[in-house]
Amino acid sequence: MASAPAPLPGYISSPLENSSSQNASRESLKMEPLADVALLPGEERVIDKDLIYMCPFNGALKGKVFITNYRLYFKSTDSEVTVTLDVPLGVISRIEKMGGASSRGENSYGLDITCKDMRNLRFALKQEGHSRRDIFGELFKYAFPLSHGLPLFSYLSQEKFEENGWAVYKPMDEYRRQGLPNERWRISFINSGYDLCDTYPTILVVPFQTPDEDLRRVATFRSRCRIPVLSWIHREKQAVIMRCSQPLVGMSGKRNKDDERYLEVIREANNTPKLTIYDARPNVNAVANKATGGGYEGEDAYQNAELVFLDIHNIHVMRESLKKLKDIVYPNVEESHWLSSLESTHWLEHIKLVLSGAIQVADKVCSGSSVVVHCSDGWDRTAQLTSLAMLMLDSYYRTLRGFQVLIEKEWISFGHKFASRIGHGDKNHADQDRSPIFLQFIDCVWQMTKQFPTAFEFNEHFLITVLDHLYSCRFGTFLYNCETIRENLKVRSKTVSLWSLINSDVSSYVNPFYTHESSRVLYPVASMRHLELWVNYYIRWNPRIRHQQSPVEQRYKELLALRDQYLKKLEELQLSDSSPSSTHLTNSSTPNAASPNQHLTHLQTPF
Amino acid sequence: MFSPKPPKPTFTSYLSPLQTDAKKYLPVSTKKLEARLLPGEIVVNEANFVRKCIGADSSQDDLWGKLICTNFKVSFVTHDSLPQQRFQCVHRLLGEHDVPLACVEQVVTVNDAKGKQKVLGSNKKLKFNPTELILYCKDFRIVRFRFDEAGPESAKKVCLAIAHYSHPADSQLLFGFEYVGTCFYGSSGEKVNGVDLGKRVQTAMFDSSSDWDREIKRTGASEWRVCAINEEYLVSPSLPEFFVVPSSLADQDLKQYACYFKAQRLPLWCWNHPNGSALVRMSSITEPQQQRKLDQRICSAIIKSHPMRSNVLKTDLDKSLPSIQEIQTALVKLRQICVIEPFVESEEKWLSSMESSRWMEYVRAFLRHAVEVIYMLEGKQSSVILQEEEDRDLSCVIASLVQLMCDPHCRSLAGFQGLVQKEWVMAGHRFLDRCNHLKKNDKEESPLFLLFLNCVWQLMEQYPAAFEFTDMYLTVLSDSMWVPVFSTFLFNCPRQRAEHSRDFALSKSISLGKDKVLQFPPVWDWSQQFSQKDQALFNNPLYVGKSAPCVHNGTVRTFTHRRSKKNYSSTLRGLPSDLKNGGLAVLDTLPRRNSLMPRLRTDVAQANERQESPAERFLQDWLSRPADLHGLLLPQLLPSHLPLWKLYFLRWVPEARIPNGGPITTFHKLSVLVDEIEILQNQLRQYTGGATPARSPSSPQDEPSKMYFRAGLSPSESPAPPEYLSSSFPFSPMGNLCRRGVLGTPLSKFLNGARIWLSTETLANENL
Repeated sequence: MASAPAPLPGYISSPLENSSSQNASRESLKMEPLADVALLPGEERVIDKDLIYMCPFNGALKGKVFITNYRLYFKSTDSEVTVTLDVPLGVISRIEKMGGASSRGENSYGLDITCKDMRNLRFALKQEGHSRRDIFGELFKYAFPLSHGLPLFSYLSQEKFEENGWAVYKPMDEYRRQGLPNERWRISFINSGYDLCDTYPTILVVPFQTPDEDLRRVATFRSRCRIPVLSWIHREKQAVIMRCSQPLVGMSGKRNKDDERYLEVIREANNTPKLTIYDARPNVNAVANKATGGGYEGEDAYQNAELVFLDIHNIHVMRESLKKLKDIVYPNVEESHWLSSLESTHWLEHIKLVLSGAIQVADKVCSGSSVVVHCSDGWDRTAQLTSLAMLMLDSYYRTLRGFQVLIEKEWISFGHKFASRIGHGDKNHADQDRSPIFLQFIDCVWQMTKQFPTAFEFNEHFLITVLDHLYSCRFGTFLYNCETIRENLKVRSKTVSLWSLINSDVSSYVNPFYTHESSRVLYPVASMRHLELWVNYYIRWNPRIRHQQSPVEQRYKELLALRDQYLKKLEELQLSDSSPSSTHLTNSSTPNAASPNQHLTHLQTPF
Repeated sequence: MFSPKPPKPTFTSYLSPLQTDAKKYLPVSTKKLEARLLPGEIVVNEANFVRKCIGADSSQDDLWGKLICTNFKVSFVTHDSLPQQRFQCVHRLLGEHDVPLACVEQVVTVNDAKGKQKVLGSNKKLKFNPTELILYCKDFRIVRFRFDEAGPESAKKVCLAIAHYSHPADSQLLFGFEYVGTCFYGSSGEKVNGVDLGKRVQTAMFDSSSDWDREIKRTGASEWRVCAINEEYLVSPSLPEFFVVPSSLADQDLKQYACYFKAQRLPLWCWNHPNGSALVRMSSITEPQQQRKLDQRICSAIIKSHPMRSNVLKTDLDKSLPSIQEIQTALVKLRQICVIEPFVESEEKWLSSMESSRWMEYVRAFLRHAVEVIYMLEGKQSSVILQEEEDRDLSCVIASLVQLMCDPHCRSLAGFQGLVQKEWVMAGHRFLDRCNHLKKNDKEESPLFLLFLNCVWQLMEQYPAAFEFTDMYLTVLSDSMWVPVFSTFLFNCPRQRAEHSRDFALSKSISLGKDKVLQFPPVWDWSQQFSQKDQALFNNPLYVGKSAPCVHNGTVRTFTHRRSKKNYSSTLRGLPSDLKNGGLAVLDTLPRRNSLMPRLRTDVAQANERQESPAERFLQDWLSRPADLHGLLLPQLLPSHLPLWKLYFLRWVPEARIPNGGPITTFHKLSVLVDEIEILQNQLRQYTGGATPARSPSSPQDEPSKMYFRAGLSPSESPAPPEYLSSSFPFSPMGNLCRRGVLGTPLSKFLNGARIWLSTETLANENL
């Protein structure tokens, strides 16, 4: 009873940077500045240095930086407002020297660090005696271990968790959950040695009628042998979502009878009148791909199919869009023309196209028609579309576990090139393969949670945690491009899964408003009127913004606790009531009797 | 959204009755349909066989019925029911398809065969027979009627009647007069429904000196007094009969000063900050020679009323905020973007169009200005004078926003209503002109009150547990402006209300008895419009309210400001020199008699020009600490953190409706939980002997729940959210937004594919 929760919503500071105005005495700071950050098991100190953090909000702050093999930690020493930075080295995309030994101007000599998570860090050092040489060297080495022949931190981590996150996704279990195999769809082990397709998982679901030899012939006609395989099946209507890469049509307009027959078999599996092929790309891009041997399914060749282009742009366009977004939110929010600046980044418009593409896929499947989804290689836009459509169609994926399965299945096992898109441990910041495709997917999920706040078991904090560890390299979950490589490098045995962390204590990741509704299909409204910039993610480094975990969520949790207290109290009273001796002993001055009203004022509930 | 629509009876189908569904069989004639009339309401004109358009692209959901124009509303009565509509907030004065005449913004008649279109005003001629009538409404609805089967003459007549009656020649033709006259005062002169409205509404009306006395005590403004020199409106035509002035100013002085102020509007006290600083509003001084002297007198009186004899700062609202015309232009543009432009076409440029409407910019400007005033009150511990030429528009917004942010009492339902009463109704905001009820002068029309409500909504978004009421309440309150029966929104000032209602009573020979004026119900008497149950939608289940009353024998410590004593800027560099030693510094600079004038600068205008004003730093510093919901609440002002008020602006847009989604779904869960807790509390009380000291003895044991959505029978089975919930709840876009010539649903839009805007870049970069 005494532990009634505080009436105010709890305010959490952003997870990786903290500002606190505690008047900690200087002495205690000098004694052990790293004492307040617990090192992870396996984390080791590398170097530390006195320097100046050029905070874009508070100005130059003197302090000390500590580099470990996992993180960069900074704590200011001379300011009344204590500023700390806690940055996993994995989020660093680029480190540059700023100024030279002869640079003029205050604090013009130092390091400039660009991060993958929408912020930059700048440190200034004394100009004498090459003071930055050692710290630059070490930082460069540990931020980009793969470029220096060093292991990623996840291989050094000794973290132990109650739950084993690697056990979350078992492909056979997931297909069985979907009701597979059945009389029309079979499990194929043709790829068990990754010799059909080296970027696919070992277990694939294909039409029952199609023998493995046919699959091999189909593979010759699909880019990188990524043949159409089943992602999801509608239990009642047996309509399926198939994913694949583009057909290798080329300039000459090649055809492949096996591919054509294969799609026909897919169509016939549930008697879909016309198979819909969703090509995620804009029409012109699909045409342009013919020049390099790719292309799209022609009308003549695939007579029982209709082709729909979804106008989603490629990884380069998305990268540039996010870059523009960063320009208008970091370090300062563009105030004078905020909305038109936001519009000119096109970020929300891309989100809209991805979401509306997924809505079309989901709607088609819901109406009983099978669909095929592809883009060029079928590992970026295709993954976005299939996973979002599955999220709309299948409430299982909206649970905390189910969402993990969805990511493991549609993204990780089907070869979204996380290593290339994120560039874990790699110094080539300008690599053209980098692109925020997965971030865009998580943003789309967030948009859905905003529109349906009771439909998802996980909360915003969970999504942000996923994104933080997309870069951190603390867990093996998002490492490498495909299953072949992961198997070779023994990711599952040598690293910890992100889901181990999450599932060992889910309380902070759970949405208290979650209401389980098994059969509901969610169609978000993909309109600019509803799409919002995810400020709690993109603008979270700005200390001018109060970082609070949803006050509505907090308050709901408080009320839930209050209800449980009352229920318990009532139970106790009912028990004591049934024992006759105590019936008339209650008097108004006992704590029990006074409790309801006490709580009333204590918790300041609205009665 | 995507479910196929069930077949609905069409006109053709009921002429040749092949309908299988017997219930859907409709009478051939709609003549028997009658309008539901209120006391004092009369039918002016009507037309039969009118079709109300429901869907934009097809007529299959259209409703058949009778279109009626009364002296109160445009009514459409039908036997048909709306497709897919299972919920609606029942309005006690208006039917499902009714639009009050005061809500009609524009009457447009169309003849599509002749390709003609005409906007109808009062006493206009119509040279063609209309085939279609479109009503553009002030609340953003667009209602469309078709006359294909109606008699051409009766269609024309009803259109002309609607146009004529929606442009009343004088304010006594506004329906409220007939209604109140008939409803509350019978012809015999006896009060028929003679309920004492004051007792029914627990809102301070500020029309008596006792309300002001209580407010003085509540805020601890001990050096201020109620002044009655304007009784019978003898001094100023637009001031209330009672208002509050510095105790040191004698009635005689005030009477003498009055003539130098615009419209004799003497300075009005609004509110006292717990530190003793006062918020005062004032009109401009008309005589330049008197300016200096008068300013000095007023200021020294205000300084004398400050416990620390602090400075007075003046802010010129006309110079720092958009004009009422600019605000009106912004709303017109916003309406264009939100409801008039075709949905799909406006998608592409949605954000920049929003920006170019400037509405959000203005919302931000008012919030920012309120913060600047609070900085003066709290940070500088100075009293503040809000100066505006007439002191009847911009000051209403700023004065009420300042109090809303500073004073938790104003965030309770009764407190908020009292605030509107005090700073808008009694202060003489020209509701009649700003609403343009008489449609006489479009230049006077300005949505200041809506702008204010939008600012309140922003605060609610940022501090969802700090307000006792919901955004549905704010929306309904705004809509009530267009139901012309409430004293709140019918008049320009208290005096006008007294005069107009007296004249009306005289002309209708209504004996008012002991009442001085015809008693219009205030909008705060919500039972006029909604049932007790529907009113539960106003209650915010998140509200962290204070159960204790705010008055403690009139002492200053009526509500706590945890940080008010601490100097806000001590942790920051570059603070102004006079603030380095905190609050005491202000005492050091106590103005001497002759050095007063230079201090009366317009601080705000200067602050805007600097890189980061002290007010901004004050805000940033405040934002960096945890907020106390019972204390000062300042808004985050970054444009990225000020979203559009979707419930208000998008509720009629069918394409923007999220079925089974939107914030209402969490509201539902919260309400159910709070209701459960309420039930448990009652059960617990029964165990403790039934003594319920927390409740007033008059309230029955089982008083109705405060929550709209109720708990299930047992805590284990929490009730499922009703199917009718959507982001538009409790409103429905069904038949309320019928744009012409807009084809397509959201889905068909997706199927068309979105436009490509980067095609050349795309081509070059395509992933190879």
